[in-house]
Amino acid sequence: MEMQPTRQRLAFTGQGGDLFAVLIVNWLLTFITFGLYYPWAKARRLQYMYEHSELDGHPFHFHGTGKEMFKGFIKAVGLFVVIYGVFFGLLMTREPGAMVIGYLFFMAAFIGLIPLIIHGSYRYRMSRSSWRGIHFGYRGQLKELYAICLRDGLLTLITFGIYGAWFQMNLRNYVIGSIRFGNSQFAYKGDGLDFFLMNLKGYFLSIFTLGIYSFWWQRDMFAYYINNLSWTFSDGRRIQFRSTATGGGFFELIIVNFFLVVFTFGIGLAWAHVRMMKFVMANIDMAGDADLDAIVQTELEHKSATADELGDLLDVDIFL
Amino acid sequence: MSNRYAANFYDGLTSKPQEAFVQLREPGALEVEVGGERVFWPLEHAGMEWERTSNMLRITFGEHPRRVIITRDKLFIATFVKRMQYAGRRGVYDRTLSIARQGPLFFLLALVAMVVVGYVWVLPFTAERLALLLPTQVDERIGEASYGSIMLGLDEDTAASAMLQRFGDRLALSDKFDLRFHYVNSEQVNAFAMPGGDIVVFSGIVQGMERPEQLAALLAHEATHVHERHSTRMIVRQMAGYLFLSLLIGDVNAVVGVLAENADNLRNMSYSRGLETDADRHGMERMVAAGVDPEGMVQLLELLEREAADMPEALAFLSSHPLTAERIAMARARLSGPRAQTTPDAELERLFLALKGRNSKALPMESAAE
Repeated sequence: MEMQPTRQRLAFTGQGGDLFAVLIVNWLLTFITFGLYYPWAKARRLQYMYEHSELDGHPFHFHGTGKEMFKGFIKAVGLFVVIYGVFFGLLMTREPGAMVIGYLFFMAAFIGLIPLIIHGSYRYRMSRSSWRGIHFGYRGQLKELYAICLRDGLLTLITFGIYGAWFQMNLRNYVIGSIRFGNSQFAYKGDGLDFFLMNLKGYFLSIFTLGIYSFWWQRDMFAYYINNLSWTFSDGRRIQFRSTATGGGFFELIIVNFFLVVFTFGIGLAWAHVRMMKFVMANIDMAGDADLDAIVQTELEHKSATADELGDLLDVDIFL
Repeated sequence: MSNRYAANFYDGLTSKPQEAFVQLREPGALEVEVGGERVFWPLEHAGMEWERTSNMLRITFGEHPRRVIITRDKLFIATFVKRMQYAGRRGVYDRTLSIARQGPLFFLLALVAMVVVGYVWVLPFTAERLALLLPTQVDERIGEASYGSIMLGLDEDTAASAMLQRFGDRLALSDKFDLRFHYVNSEQVNAFAMPGGDIVVFSGIVQGMERPEQLAALLAHEATHVHERHSTRMIVRQMAGYLFLSLLIGDVNAVVGVLAENADNLRNMSYSRGLETDADRHGMERMVAAGVDPEGMVQLLELLEREAADMPEALAFLSSHPLTAERIAMARARLSGPRAQTTPDAELERLFLALKGRNSKALPMESAAE
């Protein structure tokens, strides 16, 4: 097997001014519809981000529609209303027993929803994403996700958070390992101990250097997420992802973006976002000899966006 | 062939891109030429969708897995989009977006102006109208909800409350709400009204009074808060303001959020000052209607000003009973007009003296207890 010369395969072609126009119209329509436009606004924003992300000069595409996401949005809001209704209903009884049950129910409902949100969001987002007409897909099992979350969640709790590093890696290994792209598939091989030590080092060095090291910590984190990611094709050939980001690069990105947002009272957010996307895409290197033309369509459509919207309402950062 | 345009074709089966040529064929079809074969995609077909982004046109056709055409040819994009829009396919979104693209900053300024007008004028106006549409039972429920917990820490003198009740009833201060007066032993120079009709008067303020007209002014002032439903109006206004701001900043960063919320607090504070002068004015009208000398209001405010002299300047500035001097001046100005004849009311005088009598007995006892 001959290695292809590495070249820049991922790129972000969006522009601050264009994204700003999309965001401001979204904002306007969301505002005058008292928030009901939100799902359509989200679809427009995602469509813009996908269309301007390119692999080998071909854009990605987001197939999700405002209508699908609106249905999910309404269902998610309904579920919220039920959870809050039960919670407040039990509190109103003023019976100590019922109030305790109310609190427990409330906490259990939200914690119990998280695996469901991850599962549903991945299923929806992946199935609605494509490149060169080939759809992504998520083949993870909800049961397995619950098992991981329950086991690792408990271990994280009794180790006062230390096991959280292992939890994160196990979750990431499972979720990314369940992503298909046509008949090719992704894999993530993260190790809890490595991840823990990397963060431990970053944390303490950042403190000792009064925060200066945090940019290099950021670089290490990014590298850890990217370098452990690979993409395997049906013929066994592989593409390995690699980070080329430097601490200095992160320093410049974060500082400039900070000023861009703060000094414009948030108007510069679109430009900051574009800078970040360009930085991320430009710093992901893909090495390998797999044939990008050889992927065959396999994934079906999955159109329920409920979990995705639920994640938005709960402000859970779903995408690992 | 001059009207054929280069494009990328994806067949939806594999990831292999194919070179294609596209052109519009009237009436109403897109001709796609790929691999030496020609197919026609009807423009009005339900499975036909298109999207134009800043740098390309994407046309999809059929059921999943859909066939896709992507072209970056500017001339074809312009022709195609024009043709489709002629067919009435251009929505509100695209129109708005094209305006926003032409002059983003102008668009932003226009929006900001709209938001400011909405927030400063339209919103408070609408919120007040909405609040007044609510049934008066809403006020009673809000009052009930907080009454118990507020009175818990207070030492009510029920016998004095009964006297205060007779005093208040004689003034007939509200025909909308059942006013319930409560007399509380405390050195604080204070009184407050809860929505729905509970009015709490501290003995400290009554003790400082010299004339029954001052007590009448105090009750009239507090009764106005109840009668004019100030709390409910305030709550609805605040909720509307909060809703507006959270809609507004839903997508914007935290810095703007903090700024906006503080602005809202300041706005509410100045509104609550407006409510105080409102209560003074309506209170005086109520006094006149009850045949009580409205000068009692001026004297009451003077009493408050003397008491507030001990308060640090900065606190007084932000308090909810602020700018007493200004309120005194305004109350005086209202007296300067032609005044109805009022005669001292013997019953009010008697009740007032009885209440003051309780004070001198009750207070030393209370301070001994502390």
